[in-house]
Amino acid sequence: MDHLFLMLWHALLVSVFFAFLWRSTTDGRRRLFLKTFLIMSVGSTLLGWLMFPFP
Amino acid sequence: MSAQEARTDTAPRKRVSRLLLAAAWLVPGLGHWLLGKRVRAAVFLLAIAASFVTGVLLEGEMGTPKAGHPFSWLATFACLGNGLLYLARMVWLNGLGGALGGIPFGLSGGGDPTAAGFAYGNTFLYTAGLMNLLVVLDVADIARGEKS
Repeated sequence: MDHLFLMLWHALLVSVFFAFLWRSTTDGRRRLFLKTFLIMSVGSTLLGWLMFPFP
Repeated sequence: MSAQEARTDTAPRKRVSRLLLAAAWLVPGLGHWLLGKRVRAAVFLLAIAASFVTGVLLEGEMGTPKAGHPFSWLATFACLGNGLLYLARMVWLNGLGGALGGIPFGLSGGGDPTAAGFAYGNTFLYTAGLMNLLVVLDVADIARGEKS
């Protein structure tokens, strides 16, 4: 089981969902999708990296 | 402002069909489909069903009420949001008689706590249910004319 893949899959589904829920134009959806997806995936990776030294 | 003025300033809110809300809850995307929002309906169905199936494949546990565990009601609420998917999974796991007779504390939510993907599976299942509940609220807003 690939943890990174699962995180990216989850981020993808949630980002697509909110892009279509909260925006009605194609451009707005694309921007919100990218923003949400990047925040979730990059943010989680950074947080995991920062937590690495802790037991 | 008097109460009378407040009443006249506020336009009467359009009532939303309970049948429409029930349809939106039972089948993800059906509410939007019935309102003519076909693309959104398809995307919501795909995203929610994919999240649900991923959760099941990862051996996640459907939320069921457990005596003495108040937080299990929150998990149940989240998973109940999946509508027909939740009900079908409950019948799959417990059988029809078991599902009906097991309410509230005798239901099995399936899943395998020893599986590597258990916690991830739970997350996907809760996420799917909560997304569908947001979809139901969205249907209510569209039906009231508060959103296009």
